Amino acid sequence: MSSGRVAKLGALWRLGVAEAAAYRTSLLIWVLATTMPLISLVLWRALAASGPIGDYDQDGFDSYFIAAFVVRQLSVSWVVWDLDSQIRTGALSALLLRPVHPVAHHVMFNLAALPLRTALAAPVAIVVLLATGGISITANPIALALAIPAVVFAWCLNFLTQLAIGCLAFWLTKAAALYDVWIGAYVVLAGYLVPTSLFPHGLAEVARVLPFHAALGFPVELLIGRLSTAQALEGIGLQLAWLVAVGAIAALAWRRGLRAYGAFGA
Amino acid sequence: MADGPVISLERLDKSFRVSQREPGLWPAIRALFRREHVEVDAVRELSFEIQRGERVGFLGPNGAGKTTTLKLLAGLLYPSRGQARVLGFDPADRRPEFLRRIALVMGQKRQLSWDLPSLDTFELNRVVFDVPRELYERRLAEMTELLDLGAVVRKPVRTLSLGERMKCELVAALLHAPEVLFLDEPTIGMDVTMQLAIREFIREYHRRHGATLVLTSHYMEDVAALCERILVIDEGRLCFDGSIAELVRRIRPLRRVAVRVDARLDPGTESELEQLGQLALAGPPRLALDVAPQRVPAAVARLLALPGARDLEVHDAPLEEVMRELFARRVSVREAEGA
Repeated sequence: MSSGRVAKLGALWRLGVAEAAAYRTSLLIWVLATTMPLISLVLWRALAASGPIGDYDQDGFDSYFIAAFVVRQLSVSWVVWDLDSQIRTGALSALLLRPVHPVAHHVMFNLAALPLRTALAAPVAIVVLLATGGISITANPIALALAIPAVVFAWCLNFLTQLAIGCLAFWLTKAAALYDVWIGAYVVLAGYLVPTSLFPHGLAEVARVLPFHAALGFPVELLIGRLSTAQALEGIGLQLAWLVAVGAIAALAWRRGLRAYGAFGA
Repeated sequence: MADGPVISLERLDKSFRVSQREPGLWPAIRALFRREHVEVDAVRELSFEIQRGERVGFLGPNGAGKTTTLKLLAGLLYPSRGQARVLGFDPADRRPEFLRRIALVMGQKRQLSWDLPSLDTFELNRVVFDVPRELYERRLAEMTELLDLGAVVRKPVRTLSLGERMKCELVAALLHAPEVLFLDEPTIGMDVTMQLAIREFIREYHRRHGATLVLTSHYMEDVAALCERILVIDEGRLCFDGSIAELVRRIRPLRRVAVRVDARLDPGTESELEQLGQLALAGPPRLALDVAPQRVPAAVARLLALPGARDLEVHDAPLEEVMRELFARRVSVREAEGA
């Protein structure tokens, strides 16, 4: 990457950080709105009091849901809402007039809010860590090393999915509402409420190859040491396959969408 | 670049697919299953050229296609048919080299981050438009001085008045010194003083940089003060290309001859005057006759011969009246041409 391009991304990052700081209250609300895994933790912990459920005992649930909370915080984006409103109101025009790709703008703005968001989520995570038995992380150094790209790819997958769905706003009036459908499936199938390994046979196998699991359940299981190195590599491969597929759809939707863009409003 | 036109359009068409339905419950339910679409032609076979440094105003009623044309020229919209070239580029490609040389300012849109000071957006633009820091500092100082912005650039944009915000929008758009500046209703909703300040600033920018200006506005003063050439667009078509004076004479070919009088006209004189032209004002205090240009001398002589007549004035129809006629779409320029 040329130094000019790095400087541009840096400038976007700085503006993104400034915006995140301006919207700190909203960010905090968002953090609190994504604490679902911690509620699941309490429920499943209670259910496992009398003995393990499947391959999870109480400590297992603690680790799983704390990791799920952390991975969720690190892999969120909100480009779908921004894009939906920018397309409908014509505010996208301002981004299209700058000699920097609007998608690069959104990537940097989403990433720029992550540190602040993490700082806001940290106290919540710490309280939960102290209140429960804590989290046990994989002892396998390869799995631990692979967990880093797994979380990065989970972020990419979430971002590209939102980008693809957000682009539907070029044709539909309510693309963000369609994303709610996606989130509905995500909550169930990603391992957000229940680890997918506890699903009934058949459903579990299907759920574990879907993009939802790749975007949450897989990095969580990798992080807490529930996957062998082979399974980890397989999971990374699956993530990459979904990235290519979703990325291609997003790229197509973006290019076609721009042709349909009406730059509404005055 | 050589001397060719900075902007050229050749038979440019832009149509939108718009869904429509009748009002009411049943049509709403029916529309859930079967949407009816209509093709709306926003711009039709538009062709014109603009040379470097020209100041051009687009005029026309609401929905005439002025803003669509600007957006096509700035690369925000893809033409349905035909070709546009701006600075030698196809605008729809939105190549960085192209975007670095143009700017589009929209009175009803903003590029400034709502909750941050304008300076933050300026700084972003400095980097993404590759403006050397020294040049940036100089231009920023120059523009904040000209626009009397002072501390305004340090306040969150949401706290600014409409006029202050527009001034900051202009700074953000001009920091990279674009060669071609598109302005869409830059003074909309502003008071007269603010309109004047912004108009003056745009004039000054043109003077200093020799930029090409393309402007749409509903305020005739904007267009009259800024543009030497007018393109009238109606129903997506170009129907006039020339100076303001030519436009006025074409739509309102009559000239107004007026004097100040003290007494009412007697019916005999009134009908005599109406032989010469239309009696627009029957005073006192003012008596005005709208006449064809070749009858001006006769009208002047006759009006000055009235007892106590003084303060003679001869002028074109007021621009505002011309525009009212133009925007009301009752008299199109084409019809006037045929007349």
